[in-house]
Amino acid sequence: MIKLDHVTKSYGPRTAVRDLSLDIGEGELFAFLGPNGAGKTTTIKMMVGLLFPTSGRVLIGGHDLRTDGERARLLLSYVPDQPFLYEKLTGREFLQFIADMYGLSSNTSRDRIEEVIDMFQLADFIDDLTERYSHGMRQRTVFASALVHQPKVLIVDEPTVGLDPRSVRILKNLLRKQADSGTTIFLSSHSLDVVEELADRIAIVDHGRLISCGSLEHLRSHAELDGSLEDVFLRLTEEAPAEVSPTRDADGKGGA
Amino acid sequence: MSVAIPSSVRERVWPLLSAVFGRQTVLFLRLQMRLMTNSITILLRQSPIRPLTVFSVMAVIFIFVFLVSVEGFAFIKMQKLALTDQIVGMVLDFLFLSLGIMLVFSTALLLYASLFASPETSFLLSKPVAADKVFAYKFHGAVAFSSWAFLLLGAPVLIAYGLIGEAPWHYYILLGLFFLGFVLLPGSIGALLCLLVVNFVPRQRKTLLILGAGLFLLGLATLVYQACFIAQNESLDREASGRLLNRLGFARSVLAPSHWVSSGLRAAERNGSNDLGLSLYYLALIWSNGLLAYLATTWSASVLYRRGVNRIATGGSLRRRYGESWLDKLLAPVQVFVRPSTYLLLVKDFRTFRRDPAQWAQVVVFCGLLLLAFFNIGVFSGDSPWVYINNLSAGTVLLIGLLVAVYNGRFIFPLMSLEGRKFWILGLLPIDRAQLLWGKFAFSATMMLGFAEVLTIFSDLMLGVPWLLAIVHPLTMLVLVLGLSAMSVGLGALLADFRETNPAKIASGFGGTLNSIIGLLFLLIAFTLISGPSHAWLMLDRRDDLSWFAWSTILIAMTVGLAIGLTALILPLRLGLQSIRRREF
Repeated sequence: MIKLDHVTKSYGPRTAVRDLSLDIGEGELFAFLGPNGAGKTTTIKMMVGLLFPTSGRVLIGGHDLRTDGERARLLLSYVPDQPFLYEKLTGREFLQFIADMYGLSSNTSRDRIEEVIDMFQLADFIDDLTERYSHGMRQRTVFASALVHQPKVLIVDEPTVGLDPRSVRILKNLLRKQADSGTTIFLSSHSLDVVEELADRIAIVDHGRLISCGSLEHLRSHAELDGSLEDVFLRLTEEAPAEVSPTRDADGKGGA
Repeated sequence: MSVAIPSSVRERVWPLLSAVFGRQTVLFLRLQMRLMTNSITILLRQSPIRPLTVFSVMAVIFIFVFLVSVEGFAFIKMQKLALTDQIVGMVLDFLFLSLGIMLVFSTALLLYASLFASPETSFLLSKPVAADKVFAYKFHGAVAFSSWAFLLLGAPVLIAYGLIGEAPWHYYILLGLFFLGFVLLPGSIGALLCLLVVNFVPRQRKTLLILGAGLFLLGLATLVYQACFIAQNESLDREASGRLLNRLGFARSVLAPSHWVSSGLRAAERNGSNDLGLSLYYLALIWSNGLLAYLATTWSASVLYRRGVNRIATGGSLRRRYGESWLDKLLAPVQVFVRPSTYLLLVKDFRTFRRDPAQWAQVVVFCGLLLLAFFNIGVFSGDSPWVYINNLSAGTVLLIGLLVAVYNGRFIFPLMSLEGRKFWILGLLPIDRAQLLWGKFAFSATMMLGFAEVLTIFSDLMLGVPWLLAIVHPLTMLVLVLGLSAMSVGLGALLADFRETNPAKIASGFGGTLNSIIGLLFLLIAFTLISGPSHAWLMLDRRDDLSWFAWSTILIAMTVGLAIGLTALILPLRLGLQSIRRREF
């Protein structure tokens, strides 16, 4: 469902993502981990068509994001780490706008909007302007909008930041349920406990390069360590060669 | 919550419009309408002070421009000059040319901010929407926003022209149609300019756009000066008028869209047998070219917009090195009279200011225009009569004061609001919160005092004013700078809007508007009391040995003026300080 084919992305003289290839199947919950500046957000931006790869291809449901972007984006939903809402729209108006954007018929959109309002417990504030929402309310509304058109692919960047434990629990259940129902979830997070609990496969990137990819067991064997994901992550990123290419900054810092 | 269209109408109209214009186009139209109706609903539910203030200020400007235009057109008509029609044509050509070029640059700058630096467009571009539809949606907003000044300044001139020329009723209808058609053309050119700059010179994009706008303003000022010089130094006979027309001939080219609008409106105003047809011909010319330019630009956006977003992100190194600069040392003398903690805050504000080209570029343009005006003072003064020099010197002080007021309103007032969500950093610092205010006050007053006093003394020297004015003017400027800086800092803290991150919006919001109005009132009152009597007495008789009665009035008015200046210095800072001490974060 998601395919990255030898993707490289350079920012001027610096390379943020280096020859990255991933193949993620339908209904898979795929976690994408890496230290700050590892190239995670750049990869996600290429997967939603905000940036183009310097070389290689990104395909969603077989559609190349560069040449057939509109069809590819019809299949996906993206929840960024700093989600956007129109301050002068109510939550319901925002959901309606998203439903219309994906071309849902009026009956379908009405039903779906009620469904997601119920799913994310938005009823108390859905008819208020979003400028009055707290962080948690905004996050839940954005998730509701991401699911209103039942996407085939859900790309989520740092979904648990600022959420209370109950909301985190609701979110974890929801992500698992979505994956079980056939939606491909691409989850980028620093919350390793959430990833450990949910992910089918985990990829770890550092300095724009894929270090390891597979189940938690596979990662453990790669790291030669029988510990938690946190231990494995630290071991693998510690050992990752910080190859300083001729194109890197003089201070040696990497990142996107 | 909102002013809603009845659902039965909505359900019939939207699908019909979607079938004609396309689903995504109508979707964005609906979004714009919904955002507008919700904003109006909220505005109406809140205090009426803000819309009333904005409306009143706009009405005052509109009426002022209208009255000046009525006087101007009536004067030209009364003179019955041989070239009256050409002079009016030149005025309109020049008006549309300058407004058109301003629209090009303002649309380009606004579109850059909304297409390439806004979270909304990042959100929209991650959705299944065509790039040209997103572009068109933002284009409409940018053109509407940048053409309000065109409406505010151009409409009163053209209505006055119609009234003095006793234009027929259709002139006023065609006026609106010409206006709408005309804004499409410079708007599209500005948008195309923005797309091309971002795609092909992404690293210097902002500097290029701002420099272009600055060069245009300087060019405009030079032309205005040349026109004023001819008008000032030569009687407006046939030869001088002809020379003036030749000097501005480029604006009258048959290929210039500004000339099409001007010619079309003049034809509509004449009401002759063939004139309506001629006017409609020019209207068709404007609309066909405007629509063609719009189509070409939206097509370019379908190819270049997403590419441009990618180019901006990848066109150069994202990390730029900053550090201590020699510019920081310019502030070193301030350390003598402020605490070390205040000085650190001052340096922080100065660095923030100069690292944002959108901020300092406007100051450069301001200063450029002002310097141009000052170098021309000598040309104007020459052997001019004393009355003229007296008025010119008073006008110069008022102009410098106005610039100080504008600078403070635009750049200093938003400073406290811009601390925004970072306010907790300042709030937790182990310093008295009064230092935050003093830092900003010292920043504004130091920069402005040097700038304003040098210009004031320089202009007085060039004009050769009497010693009384040479003392009174710098004193007036001292009071103005301190008062205006204190107002902008104090009211900026009292009316801070911590949610807004755009300084231009903070300055043009309710607090900023109120600050500007109070600042302008203070400018007029302080000038009238401190400098006014000296100018009035010297106007009557250019003697330095004034009567005791004259001296008494000068001193009494000056004392009242200084007391008002002291109040303007202390009161806003006290109010701002109380507010900032109470503020939770």
